[in-house]
Amino acid sequence: MTPTRLTSSRQPLRLLQDRVATGLITAGGIGVLLAILAIGIFLVWETLPLLAIGDTLALAKLSPLAWGTLKAALAALLFAIPVALGAAIYSALFMSANLRTRIKPALEMMEAIPGVVVGFIAGLILAPWIEHHLASALAVILWLPLSAGLAGLLWQLAQSRLRRRLPLSWAGLWLVPWLALMVALVLWLAPWIEQQWFGGDLRQLLDQRFGMDYATRNALIVGIAMGFAVIPSIYSLAEDALADVPSTLIEGAQALGASRWQALWKVALTAAGPGIFSAVMIGAGRAVGETMIVLMASGNTALFSASPFEGMRSMAAAIAIELPEASPGGQTYHLLILAALVLFIFTFLVNTLAEVVRHRLRRRYRQMGGTS
Amino acid sequence: MNSGAANTVSRSPRFHWLNNLWPWLCAASVALSLLMLSALLVLLLVRGLGHFWPATLEEVTLSSGETFAGEAIREVALPQQEGDERLYFTGNQDIDGVRWRWVAIDDIVERSQPNDLIRLERSPWGDFIGRLVAVEQAGQRWEGEAAWQRLTTLLALPASQRQESQLLLTTANGQALRQPLANVASAQTPNAMAWWQKTHAWGDSVWRFLSEGPRAANTHGGVWPAIFGTVLMVILMSVIVTPFGVLAAIYLNEIAHQGRLTRLVRIGVRNLAGVPSIVYGVFGLGVFVYGVGGSLDEWFFSDTLPSPTFGTGGLLWASLTLALLTLPVVIVATEEGLARIPEAQREGAVALGATRLEMLTRIVLPMAAPAMLTGVILAVARAAGEVAPLMLVGVAKLAPQMPIDGEFPYLHLERKFMHLGYHLFDTAFHGEDVQAAIPLVYATALLLVLIVVVLNLTAIFLRHYLRRQRGNEC
Amino acid sequence: MHWLLMALLLVTPLAWGQTPPISGTLGAVGSDTMAGLMLRWGETLTTRYPDVKLQFQAGGSASAPTALMAGTTRLGPMSRPMTIDERDNFIERYGYPPLELKVARDALIVVVHRHNPLRALSRQQVDAIFSTSLACGAETPIRRWEQLPATRDWSFGSIALHGRNLASGTHGLFQERALCDGYFRNDISEHPGSSAVVAAVGESANAMGYAGFNHLNPAVHALSLYNDDGVAIPPNEAAIQSGDYPLSRYLYLYVNLPPDESLPPAEQALLTLIVSEEGQQIARASGFVPLTTSDLTAQQRW
Repeated sequence: MTPTRLTSSRQPLRLLQDRVATGLITAGGIGVLLAILAIGIFLVWETLPLLAIGDTLALAKLSPLAWGTLKAALAALLFAIPVALGAAIYSALFMSANLRTRIKPALEMMEAIPGVVVGFIAGLILAPWIEHHLASALAVILWLPLSAGLAGLLWQLAQSRLRRRLPLSWAGLWLVPWLALMVALVLWLAPWIEQQWFGGDLRQLLDQRFGMDYATRNALIVGIAMGFAVIPSIYSLAEDALADVPSTLIEGAQALGASRWQALWKVALTAAGPGIFSAVMIGAGRAVGETMIVLMASGNTALFSASPFEGMRSMAAAIAIELPEASPGGQTYHLLILAALVLFIFTFLVNTLAEVVRHRLRRRYRQMGGTS
Repeated sequence: MNSGAANTVSRSPRFHWLNNLWPWLCAASVALSLLMLSALLVLLLVRGLGHFWPATLEEVTLSSGETFAGEAIREVALPQQEGDERLYFTGNQDIDGVRWRWVAIDDIVERSQPNDLIRLERSPWGDFIGRLVAVEQAGQRWEGEAAWQRLTTLLALPASQRQESQLLLTTANGQALRQPLANVASAQTPNAMAWWQKTHAWGDSVWRFLSEGPRAANTHGGVWPAIFGTVLMVILMSVIVTPFGVLAAIYLNEIAHQGRLTRLVRIGVRNLAGVPSIVYGVFGLGVFVYGVGGSLDEWFFSDTLPSPTFGTGGLLWASLTLALLTLPVVIVATEEGLARIPEAQREGAVALGATRLEMLTRIVLPMAAPAMLTGVILAVARAAGEVAPLMLVGVAKLAPQMPIDGEFPYLHLERKFMHLGYHLFDTAFHGEDVQAAIPLVYATALLLVLIVVVLNLTAIFLRHYLRRQRGNEC
Repeated sequence: MHWLLMALLLVTPLAWGQTPPISGTLGAVGSDTMAGLMLRWGETLTTRYPDVKLQFQAGGSASAPTALMAGTTRLGPMSRPMTIDERDNFIERYGYPPLELKVARDALIVVVHRHNPLRALSRQQVDAIFSTSLACGAETPIRRWEQLPATRDWSFGSIALHGRNLASGTHGLFQERALCDGYFRNDISEHPGSSAVVAAVGESANAMGYAGFNHLNPAVHALSLYNDDGVAIPPNEAAIQSGDYPLSRYLYLYVNLPPDESLPPAEQALLTLIVSEEGQQIARASGFVPLTTSDLTAQQRW
């Protein structure tokens, strides 16, 4: 809301300065916005030759890349959504306020870890390890949620003194050593389990029984690595949405006889639903465009395969390794720019959707807050 | 919200305990995220810093009677067979043709750690591991303990002053070697060192890693040019992005008519923060490098064509691309700061007769300064960790010429530069020997993470601190 | 004139010190197979002339003609010869062909895990493993280790294939020489560097890959290849230098040099170093194979 100006000043110089400055700011602002707009225009312009020819070959070349991009993003989201939403629900609704002010920035710090570092760890350290210890890795993935449930059960059976010592509101912190212990336990037991149940080598079993190939760098690795990178962005937005749910809603539900968990599950989650949805959308946008992690951890095989143990090739990674070598104006150049355009449009749409939903939600909360 | 779940009076007692497990799963999600984060950081810290600790050298005798000396690296299980095998770094590429050796552990008869094993860092053949027999210089000869003394004195001299010196060396299996001292960079007897000597050597290596340039095709040496390149690029980027970002934010928030269009533009800008960085890289390559750069070359640098000046990736284009990439971050943060300023402040200023310019520069901007600063720091943190767009617009595997030097015009915007993130990718995937490069990659990764985390922490504390201060004022 | 000067430099090593100080930045764009080699030559050059620096951007051999054409560099190291198209494009753009120098010998090696019992492959087998087109005369594709006689009793299932990305010269050359210009299978993991291929193969027992000879390390085993006479030739230095090993190749340096001009002194110094005995020793230390003496003398023509 621009304040109305009182132009009673008697100094024309000041007014002139003001006019000029306003003009400059306007010009600068519009210029910056145009520059941003130029990205879209450039991408469309450079892909026009390809579209003009109506090249079907281009589509055939692009489709495995598109599939790879989706597969990588899906794998990442499969891992990231449960963890990020669980973390968001816990830290918005259960965690002690004291702990929350420390944990939230720490988790958001995960987002700052550069993709190239995560990709290096995933591609050169994690991938060979999982290849040698596939059974252990799968066992860890299965056992972690169970061990969390086990912790809950033990806690409920425990004496009240212990319960007061280790309250649920601090569980996010004191479960860390518990989980570490559980991981260590599984790693210690897994070779024995593999020997007993899978005849000593899970990969051989996969191959002989199901005819599944195993590539060192595969969707599983990409899912874990990129999931790690996506968790903080989903977590942060979903947590905001949940924490903003007016407390009157939850209290009201409890007053009507709902259990605390029912109140949270039915009321808070429903109320924050659109916010959570937009958080997931933002996460999906990030996963689709992430370059270095996929480049380093996916094996870059242009395959149409849904197997979690086979690699894929994403559009972003293809652009990064092939564009510098593509001669400007050539077919590959235009094709890769088309891939960039697809990425641009996709993320832009997804983000816009998320933004609009979030905006609506905020307005609704404001109304609720106003009526209470 | 403390320990509420336990006190619940559930209406369906049969599912009550199952229902109460959900919060635990959620709590475990937080714990899992923290566990992964700390595992990553601990891994980087241990491997990144541990690499510089002088490693113990072993002399190994195999069941075949063969002896060799080396540093034990890691062990893996033998495929299809019982037992493990161990990887040794044995150096001596000029004698053996290889630098690594895999040995089945069952094959090892004897392992010892003799104090007289030395490790030389040399070029072009890489490390030597073995024993020092004698030092020869200008007809003189030192042997035994005196040879080691002489070697350390000579190594303290600059390389040009030890041209005539030679080392007589033997490997663990008795092969003799003559090594000109001029090609030797450093010497160690790690098994004979006390812990404080090792600590000293560790500090020394860390310092050399931070302060020296890479050697031997990026497989040895330090990352100083990469640190310098990263920092310079980020500084240039913030110099470009700050005024434009602030200008756009002021326009959007203070001048533009607050209608549907402005709201659309705002959403658009916000969304650009989510557009993949590689897309910006494509834009930078197509428009800045090929478009603007190519034209600049034709107009101003046609005499040096076909060697390009600006028509190739370089510092300027990289900074511009990253500035565009981080523009939304700065705009959004600044706008948030502007929106938080109470309308009364603006109205008060105008009521007292200030023009809009005066109102902006004296009231609004100073109040929004913390938000702008936060925006810029967040932008810097994002830019410092970005690699993908830089691969298209101007990083080099090795750029021995710093972008700043004593030559006019001192700051060379057209030069390529090294970047920590790309250096990491390059040594890990393009290098000659991944196995040899991995410790350096860990160290580089640690450094990069530290820089980015420190920048982010600064932004968080700054925001926190300034908000609280503002809270006191109000 | 120039070769005379150069011969003088070669004969009297002291002349290095006496040449007038030269300076400048050399930019090179191209093969990442040759990255380490170029950088080491650059480092040696810098120790000799502190003001001469080499900037190298590794992007695969295909980036060299692109960069030469676009004028982004004058030096294009390539791990394969230019194709006729690339050469014609260059001539069309500048009106003269690029100067082509052979700078070292290299070979493509087919590698397996160090504990793999496989020792040698025939040309048809290599093709049957890596391609879908079977252009070299094999009858059935080979997908599993059991299909190879040497690993019949091996229970590792499918062969996991590793290779280079599209833009690299290694990829192109392997396609041309080992697949008889056929098509690669699409389930080959494409790594952005040869060392990444070797590292990946060294980590998994069921893997096979192709890479440059200079990346060979003890984690993997390089297979011998049968030549046309049915003799298995191991990829060792002698066989590569003589060209007996079927997948041996030259490494090239392309220079954008107009016919009526002479090279600037910094470029001149680099080329001189490369074809000297010292330069060839550096090539050897980087894992490549030096040129034979007759090859070396044939290169001194700028």
